[in-house]
Amino acid sequence: MIKNLWKYRHLVKRLAVSDFKVRYKNSVLGFFWSLLEPLLMLLVLYIVFADIFPSTQENYHLFLLLGIALWDFFAKGTSMGLQGILSKPGMVRQVYIPREILIFSSSLTALMMAVLELGVFGIFMAISGLMPTSTIIYLPLIFMTIFIIVFGSSLALGALNTYYRDVQYIWAVILQAGFFASGVFIDFSTYQGDLKRLLLLNPMARILLISRDCVLYNKVVSSWDLTFCLASSLVILLIGYFIFSKLEPGFAEEV
Amino acid sequence: MDIIEAKNIWKNYKIPHEKRNTLFEILYGLLDTKMGYETFTALKDINFTVKKGEWLGVIGHNGSGKSTLLKVIANTIRPTKGKITVNGKITSFLELGVGFQPDLTAKENIKIYGAIMGLSDTEIDDRIDGILEFGGLTRFKDTKIKNFSSGMIVRLAFSTAVQIEPEILLLDEVLAVGDLDFQKKCFEVFDRYREMDKTVVYVSHDLGTVQRFCDKVLLLNHGEQIGIGSPEEMISLYKSIA
Ligand SMILES: Nc1ncnc2c1ncn2[C@@H]1O[C@H](COP(=O)(O)OP(=O)(O)OP(=O)(O)O)[C@@H](O)[C@H]1O
Ligand SMILES: [Mg+2]
Repeated sequence: MIKNLWKYRHLVKRLAVSDFKVRYKNSVLGFFWSLLEPLLMLLVLYIVFADIFPSTQENYHLFLLLGIALWDFFAKGTSMGLQGILSKPGMVRQVYIPREILIFSSSLTALMMAVLELGVFGIFMAISGLMPTSTIIYLPLIFMTIFIIVFGSSLALGALNTYYRDVQYIWAVILQAGFFASGVFIDFSTYQGDLKRLLLLNPMARILLISRDCVLYNKVVSSWDLTFCLASSLVILLIGYFIFSKLEPGFAEEV
Repeated sequence: MDIIEAKNIWKNYKIPHEKRNTLFEILYGLLDTKMGYETFTALKDINFTVKKGEWLGVIGHNGSGKSTLLKVIANTIRPTKGKITVNGKITSFLELGVGFQPDLTAKENIKIYGAIMGLSDTEIDDRIDGILEFGGLTRFKDTKIKNFSSGMIVRLAFSTAVQIEPEILLLDEVLAVGDLDFQKKCFEVFDRYREMDKTVVYVSHDLGTVQRFCDKVLLLNHGEQIGIGSPEEMISLYKSIA
């Protein structure tokens, strides 16, 4: 698979960039509109939860925005990957390319969008007068982990959705639940015991937790947490690739 | 050297009694006793080889399996049984297209197609003008494909495919929707490709062009290989089973 991605790197780049442009409707305005969504989400969550969890967080708005940005990376990335095969029927039926390229390029598009959202977070952080500390060096690694999770999940979802069109609705429901279960607006580090251990089995919950630690609270990420996140992302990638390769031969007959 | 070798190729399509496209329907179907599908055999034991520089024509009635065979060679669908070997990079023109995306402009689509064929950015940029000019579509370079007429899409797809110098070309009904001017251009390309020793598999109902360009012809009937041989022989055999 890696050989194919390298061989077709020009194509991967082209597809990722053209999808990115289509998403932002080739305009600067489209780009601002797309950032409105996470900011609105921030506003709503802040109004509702700032009073409920009062003293748990200083800079709760940054806590929220970082969570929203990273969760969006996962949620938008997998939703786009889900359509990765179906949305390009011509490239499946009329030419042969290794089909994982379609999924990989959609994950790359999601990565570019996530970097933009992270930029917005950076601006908010600067406005709030909070300077990043040296622990921020973990952030690229965290981004890579989410990228692997997005790519792996998208391989499975994109393939399954090609055969069973309601996978997209099921996934939308799972994402809704995941939004709550990943601690986008709740600080799981205040939880104790089995409940905390259970919640942090979800790699996205753990990723959100450690990214806040290193970006906002100047805490070193434990190697156990890092290993857990990286290992679970690789497991997701392996499972995703397995499902994808089982279903790939029939794609042209199903799209 | 054999550029394409097909050995005992079979292709079955699944035709579900009711098309089940959702998990929900599948789960529901498990409770339902009459679940199942029929298989339709579109290709039955096809065997042939194509040498470098050779043109193989494929003829037969509607539904005889010609397009299915081309898709198997292109690797977009996989044979149920048998083995296909291809030595070289394939350029395929299937279902009257080369994989264009309707939401992108002519230029963007050409760039993506170039990338599929492994060209670098500069190599593609060098060819864009030539492709648009050959298709007579220079004026429409920034128009989205979804606003093209079906003939224009075919023109653009064909010019893109042939201007990017393929090693092996698979052509399914290129002449079907083009106007006279386009057909003339196609013939110019065909003549040039014959001189350049390109390997081509040509599917068409236009027996005149099959006769004119092909070195040998494969005749299909209901998925069976009736014969493979000289164009004259196969065309008269085709007419006799009509
Ligand atoms: N995806 C599919 N699912 C089920 N059956 C199919 C599928 N694609 C093709 N078939 C069947 O396979 C047979 C051969 O189809 P094919 O398109 O190869 O014919 P063809 O020789 O190209 O015909 P034409 O001259 O009309 O283009 C047809 O009976 C068709 O119904
Ligand atoms: Mg056909």
